[in-house]
Amino acid sequence: MTDIRAPETDPFDPAAERDDPPRPGPGSPGAGTFGLTDWLKWAWRQLTSMRIALILLFLLALASVPGSILPQQGNDAPGVQQYYTSHPDLAPWLNRLGLFNVFAAPWFAAIYLLLFASLVGCVVPRTFRLAGSARTLPPRAPRNLSRLPRSAEYVTTLPPADAAQVAARVLSGHGFRLRRPAASEGADEASEGRQWVSAEKGYLREAGNLLFHLALLGVLVSVALGGLFGYKADRLLVQGQTFADTASALDEFHPGRFVTDANLARFTMTLDKFTATYISSGEQAGQPSSFDAKVTYTGSAGSPARTADLDVNRPVAVDGAKVYLIGHGYAPVFKVTDASGHVVYNQATPFVAGAAGNFLSEGVVKVPDAQPDQLGFTGVFVPTAVNVSGTLESVFPAADNPVVSLIAYAGNLGENSGASQSVYQMDTTGMKRLTTRPQVLTPGQSLKLPGGRGTITFTGYVPWVSLAITHDPGQLPALICGMAALGGLLLSFMIRRRRVFVRASAGQQGAGQQGAGQDGTTVQVGGLARTDASGGFEAEFAALAAELRSAHERAAPAAQPVQPQPEGE
Amino acid sequence: MLRALPVRTGRRRTVVLAAAVLAAVLLVVVLVTGWPGGGRSSDTTTVDGNASAVLYSAGHRPAAPAFGGTTLTGSKLSFSSYRGRVVVLNFWGSWCVPCREEASTLAAVAAKYQPSGVSFLGVDVRDTTASAQAFVNKFHVGYPSVGDSSSVITADFSDVVPIAGTPTTLVIDRTGHIAGAVFGTVTYSDLTAILAKVTAKGG
Repeated sequence: MTDIRAPETDPFDPAAERDDPPRPGPGSPGAGTFGLTDWLKWAWRQLTSMRIALILLFLLALASVPGSILPQQGNDAPGVQQYYTSHPDLAPWLNRLGLFNVFAAPWFAAIYLLLFASLVGCVVPRTFRLAGSARTLPPRAPRNLSRLPRSAEYVTTLPPADAAQVAARVLSGHGFRLRRPAASEGADEASEGRQWVSAEKGYLREAGNLLFHLALLGVLVSVALGGLFGYKADRLLVQGQTFADTASALDEFHPGRFVTDANLARFTMTLDKFTATYISSGEQAGQPSSFDAKVTYTGSAGSPARTADLDVNRPVAVDGAKVYLIGHGYAPVFKVTDASGHVVYNQATPFVAGAAGNFLSEGVVKVPDAQPDQLGFTGVFVPTAVNVSGTLESVFPAADNPVVSLIAYAGNLGENSGASQSVYQMDTTGMKRLTTRPQVLTPGQSLKLPGGRGTITFTGYVPWVSLAITHDPGQLPALICGMAALGGLLLSFMIRRRRVFVRASAGQQGAGQQGAGQDGTTVQVGGLARTDASGGFEAEFAALAAELRSAHERAAPAAQPVQPQPEGE
Repeated sequence: MLRALPVRTGRRRTVVLAAAVLAAVLLVVVLVTGWPGGGRSSDTTTVDGNASAVLYSAGHRPAAPAFGGTTLTGSKLSFSSYRGRVVVLNFWGSWCVPCREEASTLAAVAAKYQPSGVSFLGVDVRDTTASAQAFVNKFHVGYPSVGDSSSVITADFSDVVPIAGTPTTLVIDRTGHIAGAVFGTVTYSDLTAILAKVTAKGG
């Protein structure tokens, strides 16, 4: 059988949503004989319907809301602790529901996977339908071409078979896909003196549609690829420091399922110098005008050291990973001597800018091995300090007049209890405050701790940068697939699928034509474009009909008069 | 000229398709969430059922990468000079809270095994000399530590054993191969169990 497939499939728009036709009797739940397989089929149809896909998409968006409102275990563990202390009754319940780790919660995974299944289940069959449709030949020419939206009719002296042959050549020259009566089926028609040609054009529309659907699947696969084989990591790097890209040297590390430490990009990177410049006057004063993080990096063993200038949105690519500059700050350098006179702390300590603006930054200095007691300091770094009625304020983000303000503590930092602590926070419950008021130090100044517990010196400051290291093997495929999807969509929007039929019948028997003789051949031309929303087919059809006619005229013996019978709309 | 597509009935096709998609989704679930039970390599056995302490079976011991550096006291140290001896290599940092917990355990194990020729060596990760030296003074650490502020040594070892952070303790045999590892805080029994195996003759 060579005819097109299932007639219920619209040959012009095979991608049209075609829900399985409702079946009588056991087609829907509630009927008496609805077995397990029927239930499963019903569930599958529901899952892959457009409606459910949209609901799942909406649910996914809704489910991510608590992730942005509540503190999350992954990126803000102290925030979760804080929430437990402030809402002791509510927090355990939220935890049971997985609301402190939304993106790892089983119900979130359930929504995501259902959506994935729904999309795949929706796209795959459509892809098959489109592929089938892109390969089908046009249908046989309808019996009455004058009923089509566009039609024309004229008489030629060519015999019907020759007329059809000429029409086929013309249409083929215009890139139409042709269908002629098959030897078996054409026999009876040919014997009646009727010849026909079906022609169809615009298959690229289906190709575009197919490309779109395949690319959509490609995007899904690429995203999965990135999730399984990619990783994201953060590292705070103080000027002058070097780090190697390995799990224990990263502050945050979110590996994909198949990423082990051995899969990480192999490189070391040193922050040689970081400079941030700021607009110094006008309305924009204090806004950053440029960043420049000069880094030296070495890729996998044996490769030479290279230098690069990192800027926001100007990452450096090394060994398959990309390193982005995502933040910066100040790290005041402190030197602490304990009661025994040993230097027990001497390092740049990253402080983090708070909400006060102009890089007024906060941080802590923990000296766990000071003798006789552990020492701790909470501090504020003020890059450009101005004393506003007894309070230090920062009036500019550059370090024009840097000072630190410290409160000193001694006692138990609470570290030996085993729980890990944030390096930016200090638990002062087991500590005694040594200084009643915050002590302000300028670079080079020292604070002598009471009771001969030692001294702390603010020796200077260096900048730090925060780096994001990402590796997403799905990024490029996702981009390519995304662009392919867009291209396919454009193709399917811009290209019309249209059909032209030509019938050549012996005798002059067109509409309104009184039989003027049996020696001529009536040529009927009909055309339709189902998706001709924007118009344009009318002109194309008129031009095509005219060309067919002139081709027939040229092919016909010159002596015969031709009586054109155009039949417009 | 026209190849007819194999026409399957809509129902059968739906079932086949559903099965295929469900299988694909199941595969994704398994890949994302992991095989049930986890998949530790058969090259290792756990010590006392403790998953974080492992022994590498003979023939599957990864070679320890060569490294060297400056100790906290400023002298040069090269790991190659330890060849022929069993070495306990401890990755630590003064900022690392669990490292404080295990410091006394390590000291006790060192006191027991150092006389029988086992060497102890620290790798001080992401640290400064001042803080590290204060730690060493406080916990009376009696063996040297090589500074690894850039984590380069750690990264080299990460290529052969899964060091996720500090503390990590490796036991290296006389041929320079990693024979055992404790990921996380060491316990006296785990470390001595590993050492008993590795120092046994032929180990």
